[in-house]
Amino acid sequence: MHSYIRPYTHIALRLPSGIVKVLEIIPNTNINIGKFGTFPANLLLGRPYYLTFELLDKEEGKSQTELRVVPASELHAETLASDDAATPVESKEEPTADGGVQFDIVGENGEVIMRNNRLTVDDPSRQTLSMEEIEELKKAGTGSGKEIIAKIMASHMALEEKTKFSLAKYSLRKAKKYLRRFTVLPLDVGTLAEYVLEKEPFKVMELREESLGLIGAWANIHCGDSSRVLTAHDGISQIGGGRWLVVDDTAGLVVASLAEKMGILYSPEEESEGEEEEEEEVLNLEKPQNGEPTETGSENPQQDTEMPDIPTDASSAPQTASNPNSTTKPTPSLSSSLKPFPRKPHRNHIPAMSSPTNTLTILHPNAQPNLALLKYFNFDACDPSPTHPLYHHLKSLSWLQLLSPTSSDDYREPPLLSDSVLAEMKSSKRSTYYKKRRRWERTKRVVDETRRGGFDGVVVAGVMSPESVLRWCVPLVKGGGRVVVYSNTVEPLVELCDLYSKDRRAAFVQREVERQEAMAGVKKEGEENGTVALPELDEEEDLDFPVNPTLLLAPTLQTSRARDWQVLPGRTHPLMTSKGGAEGYLFTATRVLPLEGKVEARGNFRGKKRKTGEKTAVPT
Amino acid sequence: MAHRPCPFFDPGTQSSNNTLGILQLKRDLLIPTILSSEPSTDYAEGKVETTRFGTFPHSTLINQPWGTQVLASVVDTGSRGAKGKKRKRGKEEAGKEEEEDEGRPSDSQLVKAATASSGFVHLIPPTPETWTLCLPHRTQVVYTPDYSYILQRLRARPGDHIIEAGAGSGSFTHAAARAVFNGYLGQDVTRYGTEDSRRKRKTKRYGRVYSFEYHEQRAKQLVAEVESHGLRDVVTITNRDVYGDGFCLPSSNGPAAHSSDAEPDADIIFLDLPAPWLALKHLTRSPLPSPTATPAEGTTPTPFRSPLNPKSATRICTFSPCIEQVQKTITALREYGWLEISMVEIQAKRLDVRRERVGLSEEGVRGANSSAATVKEAVQRLRDVEGRAKLFHGMQIEKQKEVMRKVEKVKKGEQEKKGSSSGRDTDIATEKRDAQHKINAESKDTLMSTLPPSKHDRLQQAKANAALRPAYKEGRLIHRTEQEIKTHTSYLTFAVLPREWTKEDEEQAREKWGR
Repeated sequence: MHSYIRPYTHIALRLPSGIVKVLEIIPNTNINIGKFGTFPANLLLGRPYYLTFELLDKEEGKSQTELRVVPASELHAETLASDDAATPVESKEEPTADGGVQFDIVGENGEVIMRNNRLTVDDPSRQTLSMEEIEELKKAGTGSGKEIIAKIMASHMALEEKTKFSLAKYSLRKAKKYLRRFTVLPLDVGTLAEYVLEKEPFKVMELREESLGLIGAWANIHCGDSSRVLTAHDGISQIGGGRWLVVDDTAGLVVASLAEKMGILYSPEEESEGEEEEEEEVLNLEKPQNGEPTETGSENPQQDTEMPDIPTDASSAPQTASNPNSTTKPTPSLSSSLKPFPRKPHRNHIPAMSSPTNTLTILHPNAQPNLALLKYFNFDACDPSPTHPLYHHLKSLSWLQLLSPTSSDDYREPPLLSDSVLAEMKSSKRSTYYKKRRRWERTKRVVDETRRGGFDGVVVAGVMSPESVLRWCVPLVKGGGRVVVYSNTVEPLVELCDLYSKDRRAAFVQREVERQEAMAGVKKEGEENGTVALPELDEEEDLDFPVNPTLLLAPTLQTSRARDWQVLPGRTHPLMTSKGGAEGYLFTATRVLPLEGKVEARGNFRGKKRKTGEKTAVPT
Repeated sequence: MAHRPCPFFDPGTQSSNNTLGILQLKRDLLIPTILSSEPSTDYAEGKVETTRFGTFPHSTLINQPWGTQVLASVVDTGSRGAKGKKRKRGKEEAGKEEEEDEGRPSDSQLVKAATASSGFVHLIPPTPETWTLCLPHRTQVVYTPDYSYILQRLRARPGDHIIEAGAGSGSFTHAAARAVFNGYLGQDVTRYGTEDSRRKRKTKRYGRVYSFEYHEQRAKQLVAEVESHGLRDVVTITNRDVYGDGFCLPSSNGPAAHSSDAEPDADIIFLDLPAPWLALKHLTRSPLPSPTATPAEGTTPTPFRSPLNPKSATRICTFSPCIEQVQKTITALREYGWLEISMVEIQAKRLDVRRERVGLSEEGVRGANSSAATVKEAVQRLRDVEGRAKLFHGMQIEKQKEVMRKVEKVKKGEQEKKGSSSGRDTDIATEKRDAQHKINAESKDTLMSTLPPSKHDRLQQAKANAALRPAYKEGRLIHRTEQEIKTHTSYLTFAVLPREWTKEDEEQAREKWGR
């Protein structure tokens, strides 16, 4: 995983100023990092991540900039040196030595060990180099910035008057400004989250890494590749299989984070890590088929008719797994003769969104899901590449398709034409026909499967009111499954917690018992059509109980924030400033199967004798 | 290889014998138990879980769909101490219970317990989170906000190898196992999607956790736990002092044949040790030059083997409560060439949500504030009180007058006795006065009824209303931080050790990718 920098992947470059630049690395192009210069992308390809490079000056006779790997010892040189210096002082443990330096600390031999800031003069004139001179130096552009810094430092009139700390700060500031270095980071979900949070926090609901971690943990997200999809007690609905339901208004960041934890975010070649694959990598130097239309039925109707309507149960699905040799690597001759880009042969093509296990099912309010950020992982939701694992493992359906499938066009079966009719068709019409059939098959499969419920959990990070989402999502979660709702602000979740409060649950149970008594015997369960009983779409909204409060156990509201520290020899403290904004809250609960009717709780209630309190005082 | 799926990853539809199940009583009160249908010496019902909310024989917990609300049973818990008698008595009673219980005979020799009138728990499948809430504490526990952030920052992904040193109570072990788990050894079900030609040729790399524990007892307990939790394929526990002996495992140590013999071949390292900087010298990619900063211990005769995966950047996190530990660790990290060093602390809290009811109508109601809710209400109450006071004052005066009159009357009577001439006159006068009184009293009654009820009446009224009021939706919705918060758990130090990159590598890369 992220073993070395591969062509056509997105990478993040961090500049000394802390600014992160995200770009797709394309062979034989140049990468421009602003005022620091330009260098060929090929100089990064094949190199490991996390290295810091320095732009060297163009040598005479060479056409382009060279890069130099800055070794760790050089990066840490200053801190380590000052650390050594600081140690003797610290070891004395004089009260004056820690932190607040009141006066110069002079060693026994008269050498000044620690200076204080009595001599600090806040005057820019102490720097003797003028701005013009510095500009000159920059233009000359020598020694990747180090020389400039050295000159600037040398021209400072009172450098030796500075305390060690202010000197360090000064040189750090200069380094940020002039050092022509950058660090290459893999663009994984963590880096991406940081990057987007800095740039467009509103786009991802100000989702921080802390929350991403918590969401994954509380939703019990893991790789469900080997999980079983089982049939529930009613014999119809299914249970488990490592399937999670997602509502995502973070442009796909939540989906990416979950997919990363499930092992379906990175395309397989990225996951492989060794040099053994490098031969094949060379072939991939040409732009991979990402971006190619996937539903290209026109040339090969044969393949289309062969495509079975994949049954959704686990047992039969793996049998359709592809002929391994045909999937990834196109034979060069074929590709070169047909197309400028290598194309994946579509024989034994496995339909999209068809994996029975280890899947994410995304529910979206618009016709298409917004998964814009997945482009950084080479996945385009509108035009997915069949080699990407998300192609099979990410399923999407709209709320309309879930709640009222019959009113969705894609769910209605297009007429089945006979072979003879098809043969007479124009090829373009034929391909439209196949396209429609395929879309219908896919939609039907996903909708039916989703309505059979039994998901391992539901993760909601959306702007819609959470109770309206949970009203329909919670019944689709299996008993013992996890429900997680993220919100950047606390208010929606406070209201949600209230809807699942102990008192409300008690009142709900009371009401249900009364209702049941009123209409004894009349019982309706929507299970006869093979789906989980969902509330009717047009059912009048119950103002007091918009959600069934008995379905969730132990609703909890929490938040978490990481506080960054600076750890430098003798200068350890929390960072002075950091980003504010939304705190980010998480609602978590466990889906349970309540017993019908009245259930008396037990326990000491300190003599409380309220009728309503007794029934459900147990779990909070 | 028939594998029993791990209940943490794939609990199935229902609880089954000999698997871990969790009984959730309250949000933070969970009881882990290995469900067992074996007969027990203590109870006729077999293994029994006794809780604050009742007693639950395992027979009522097994083969239940996960998430089920289970009712408590009537189990004779009292006679457990009295040996000898106990079994007989249990049987007798159980016999009775069986009769009560529709006379259904149980198919095993276990006695079926009758359902109790109250008490229940929820039976939920284990997850690292629920396990963290109820595991047997051996050391400080790494809680969910910390471990979730750590695993996120360390980019733990399915298929990765994690070294964990200082396994402690095992909460991180379980979370880490979940993060890297990607299938059971030797049970590579072919799935489409992630599977492609190349991966099939190559043996799949299974996610693994290599856990080191110095304390022998704890290590043993952990081994047993891992076994009973079905995590054997994912977690390897080693009892070892990692400061001295490092992290490399003998290649035969693996529980099954492993594709890469060089275990642990780690991508991720988590050190929950008192002195992580002492372990860092074992986490290098190449042998350290002899004059290192670490105290020399005599070079090992065996050829150098790195515990790190040479093909990935190694991510590390150390977990130390004290800042001094952090400083030492970071200095060591810098010396050994780790990059991207950063340190954070996690501040997590849970929020309580409740309804706060304020108002005069809340008088005498539990859990509410009976002060006036608004200024208007306060003014109204003051008016009422004042009005009542006036009335009472008036009544007081009236009463006093009455007394005076009576006294007068008595006096007059005495006078009449002395000279009983004007008796008739006074009689008429008294009659008149009485009539006047009656009118007064009547008007007073009407006056009283217009006034608000007395405190006594109000309380009475409030009590009567309390049961009928929909308290769950009244008042203002508020949230506040939970009573007890963890203000400091530990400092988390993160760093990355990139792959080794030599001049030769650079030459090769240049040749391959051009310039």
